[in-house]
Amino acid sequence: MSDTTYEARVITLPVERATTAARQTAASAAARQVGAVGAWSTDDWGRDPRLVEATIRLGRLRWNTLIAGTERLPARAGALIVVNARRFALSPIFTALALTGATGRAVRFVGRPDVAPVGAFVRRLGGLLERTDEVAGALRAGEVVVMGAHPEVHPRRVGRVDHRLIGAAVATRTSVFPAATASSPWGRSARVEIGAVARPTRRRRGPLIELELADLVEQRIQRLLDQLGGAQTGTPLDWLPLSGMGGD
Amino acid sequence: MLLERESWVGELTGLDVDPPRRRLHRASFELVPATDHGRIVDTITKFDPHVVVHIAVWEPFSRATPDTARRLTDDAATSILGAAAECRALESVIVRSGTEIYGRARGAPTRPDEDAELNPTSDYGRMLLGIEQTAAALGRRIGVSVGAIRMGTVLGPHVPSPLGRVLRMPAVPFSVLADPPFAVVEDIEVARAFVAAADRRLDQPVNVVANGAITALQAARRGRRIPIPLVGPDWAIARVISGLFGAPIPEHVVEAFHRGRLADNSRMTELLGFHPSATTSDVIDKLYEWPTVIRVPARRAVA
Repeated sequence: MSDTTYEARVITLPVERATTAARQTAASAAARQVGAVGAWSTDDWGRDPRLVEATIRLGRLRWNTLIAGTERLPARAGALIVVNARRFALSPIFTALALTGATGRAVRFVGRPDVAPVGAFVRRLGGLLERTDEVAGALRAGEVVVMGAHPEVHPRRVGRVDHRLIGAAVATRTSVFPAATASSPWGRSARVEIGAVARPTRRRRGPLIELELADLVEQRIQRLLDQLGGAQTGTPLDWLPLSGMGGD
Repeated sequence: MLLERESWVGELTGLDVDPPRRRLHRASFELVPATDHGRIVDTITKFDPHVVVHIAVWEPFSRATPDTARRLTDDAATSILGAAAECRALESVIVRSGTEIYGRARGAPTRPDEDAELNPTSDYGRMLLGIEQTAAALGRRIGVSVGAIRMGTVLGPHVPSPLGRVLRMPAVPFSVLADPPFAVVEDIEVARAFVAAADRRLDQPVNVVANGAITALQAARRGRRIPIPLVGPDWAIARVISGLFGAPIPEHVVEAFHRGRLADNSRMTELLGFHPSATTSDVIDKLYEWPTVIRVPARRAVA
């Protein structure tokens, strides 16, 4: 008895081959997309790149950030960026997310609480505990870390820079960059200006180098803040963060 | 088996409470219970080794209940390290430890390196600290190098791991408020670490964990398990239910689910000469691929 469906089963026409190939390509492309969604993972410090990406996108709806000086940052090596912090402005987080968006590198920040659920969420965004060994570990691994100076109420003043955290950069031979930030709670404009690398003026053998470098960074941030521009009235109005100074 | 392949290894003997799963070609083997101090001491002192690799550590709820695990680990450590101290040829001791030794107290470093403060916050962590302290005291007393392999949670097709069992359950609990990341390591990488440590006569602790991290929720999603969000007192119920279904959750695994467990493995290359090739996500993917029972077919039919 002859098999009437033999040819249909064995012979594959060119059109059918092309259709099958297209179907397979589409299926594998879809699997890649879906697979990426289902394959969430965190990095060595618990930072979730997808959550960071989503937060950056949300942040762009709220702020229009002008970033300058990213070319000064090393392409692969670690760096410690010290920013001025205004009370409740979350400057280190804002700066780290803005720099992640601008450079494509995973930028972390210092100062997450160790209490769930806030601490857990902030860790997913790249937060590190405010500990010298934690910061030193990240810098040793070639990570870019943002830390804030002591928060100030005045948007144009910089607070004290913690010399112990600067010591982590000294111990790991990592470059320290001063950076000025400005943002307004009312407007969309925000600005991050990264200054030139701060190097200690004198060679020291002991811990004095940390203190001197912290002072130097503080001065450099103040200078950057002074250079940001914007109107200065000399009245209490200057204390209000009315403008992001430079953003659109 | 890895030690058998090493050219620097002359004679090799092993002591265990279970027989080896594979045929050993060069090594001899002694089946000795952990409580039989006399035989352990006799075997070790008669062999007079240059290097002792002490891996007789029972993780709670891996093969024994926490109380039994503590007792067996203590017995084995006392007799093996005590016997090693009597050996004239001894040059180096390598002990098994774990990242649980750092503890996860509030404010503890997220990714501790080997210099971090040892502040264990679980029973298993305290067991490991006891072993490291005993070995260090032995090293100081008789002047031999002592190295410790502080490994992350070990997962492998043959390894009885409470974390692995929980993650392979059809439903996986996770802390809805924290869901912190943890790191694991594959059994073969740990074996390589022990061999390298013995070869190099390691004289300090080293963290052995895979790169990357994963949370319980992410692991459940990768394994297509049902994630069960838990808060506070729910965990007590979950532990009971999980125990009833054959996957009891020990204290240190609950701690990992609540507070995470990461470690800085950057010194591995310097101290051991290699770095894990599989990431934590890879090991978790393998965990879900490993069959429940591995059937080894007979090489030839005998009937």
